Amino acid sequence: MAAGHRAQWKGFIKFGEVSFGVALYTAASTSDRITFNTINKASGNRVNRVFIDSETEELVAKEQQTKGFEIENGQYIVIDPEEVAATIPESNKTLEIEAFIPCSDVDDVYFDKPYYLTPDKMGGEGFAALRDGMKKSKVAAIARTILFRRMRTVLIRPHGRGLIATTMNYDYEVRSSKKAFEEMPRIKVEGEMLDLAKHIIGTKKGTFDPAAFEDRYEAALAELVKAKLEGRSLPKPKKVAVSKPNDLLAALRQSAGLLKAAADKPKRTAANANAGAGRQRATRGSASNAGAAKSASHRKAS
Amino acid sequence: MAQKYYWKGYLKLSLVTCPVAMTPATSESEKVRFHTLNRETGNRVVSQYVDSVTGKPVKDEHEAKGYARGENDYVILTDDDLDAVALDTVKTIDIEKFVPANSIEWIYLEKPHYLMPNDAVGNEAFAVIRDAMKADKVLGVSKLVIGRRERAVVLEPRDQGIVLWTLRFGDEVRPEEGYFEDIDEEADPDLVPLVQQLIKKKSAKWSPDMVSDPVQEALLKLIAEKKKLLKPSKATRGKAASAPASNVVNIMDALRKSVNAELKGRKAG
Repeated sequence: MAAGHRAQWKGFIKFGEVSFGVALYTAASTSDRITFNTINKASGNRVNRVFIDSETEELVAKEQQTKGFEIENGQYIVIDPEEVAATIPESNKTLEIEAFIPCSDVDDVYFDKPYYLTPDKMGGEGFAALRDGMKKSKVAAIARTILFRRMRTVLIRPHGRGLIATTMNYDYEVRSSKKAFEEMPRIKVEGEMLDLAKHIIGTKKGTFDPAAFEDRYEAALAELVKAKLEGRSLPKPKKVAVSKPNDLLAALRQSAGLLKAAADKPKRTAANANAGAGRQRATRGSASNAGAAKSASHRKAS
Repeated sequence: MAQKYYWKGYLKLSLVTCPVAMTPATSESEKVRFHTLNRETGNRVVSQYVDSVTGKPVKDEHEAKGYARGENDYVILTDDDLDAVALDTVKTIDIEKFVPANSIEWIYLEKPHYLMPNDAVGNEAFAVIRDAMKADKVLGVSKLVIGRRERAVVLEPRDQGIVLWTLRFGDEVRPEEGYFEDIDEEADPDLVPLVQQLIKKKSAKWSPDMVSDPVQEALLKLIAEKKKLLKPSKATRGKAASAPASNVVNIMDALRKSVNAELKGRKAG
């Protein structure tokens, strides 16, 4: 269906006795952080990476390498790649829906990567019925299949005319929020403090379009390199003043007062919401134009 | 709290600031991982840096990060240099804006982290920000430098803490038009109620059991079997945990081993 894109996976969706052909397409890629080259400080040259035996220190060629599992310090069980492959169940190319769960019940902390899920030429009717049924019942579907040489669970949910399938992290890869936060003190905030904080939030309410966000790191790093080359001293990070418990109420009152004063000025608060982004774009100049144009086209999409 | 934090800094709402620490919600540490071995010697294979010109090994203390200024021309940057990058978002999560809960498309959610106070001095300030977001049913929007990029982040109050999501960049999310435009907009109205009936029958509550990993289980089994086949001399050298049949035997083995080790140690000394 999706002309011009390469499917990551093709197979079937099955729920009850219904089954039809579908394809998965990558919906999001990950762009890299700024990578540095590793340099030998002593010579100023770049370094290369080689693989050596930890004991003999001799080079180990690719075909001489195998995999091992460390059972205790320095003792390994050798496991050949074929043996690993043998543990992967044979793929039946079918995303079998095991359960439907209420959308409000989904724990998003398990989310891994999103894929666009589309019907093949013959599957349109069943696809549309599944999509609209799920929409009306306000549920997401949990399905499993072999994806990328691993048994994966995906969460499927309606999105516009299509479906989005998100691969889920495994149970042992996710720490529950309950556990992570269990040692935190139980504090419940009420009264004036809560009212003031809600008031502050009220003055900062708006909408946010992630597609329009711009990363300022690269420009800041280039600036830092320039300063270093010119022998200028690098700015010291500002000391952050932490609010003391005794001053908390005063800080909240003062914040609320300041924000109220700002809001009383001519209607500028709505524009403030995106002011940060606007300023950045102006200072970054032409270098960011390509990025801005790109995000503009995305904005339409979302 | 004896855990290692991934990031430490400050959470700020207007004039209220508190020290916070953050840890990723996901981790690969429990995953079965393999090391590369030399097939011939059985030893670990490790990577080593060699100078690209002289071919000689490079000592750890001579390794440095280089920012490419031109071909074969690098400006060396220390970690302290990098910390001095002139962005407040390196150390401070300043909540600039609040948006309705559920208003951020799931497709933009990239990686979840748990955010919590890092010093008792900030406990109450943290709780104020968290509870006010909860009461108003909003998410906080901010930005933060993580992994040498400045990321848009959203903050969601949850339990006693806050979940901080990094968001994908606009150019990382592919526009959906090219994928969904040919799909029927309306489903056959006779089919939808049938699907809803099926949904009802197959409804369940979310459970982490739904994301178990049978391949990992199979790998662990394979490892356990291979461990049993190890030569006895080797097996007894190791921890006695390899024999799952009975704990009594394990303890016996462990005790014997301990006694032997004691004796050897005495002889050597």
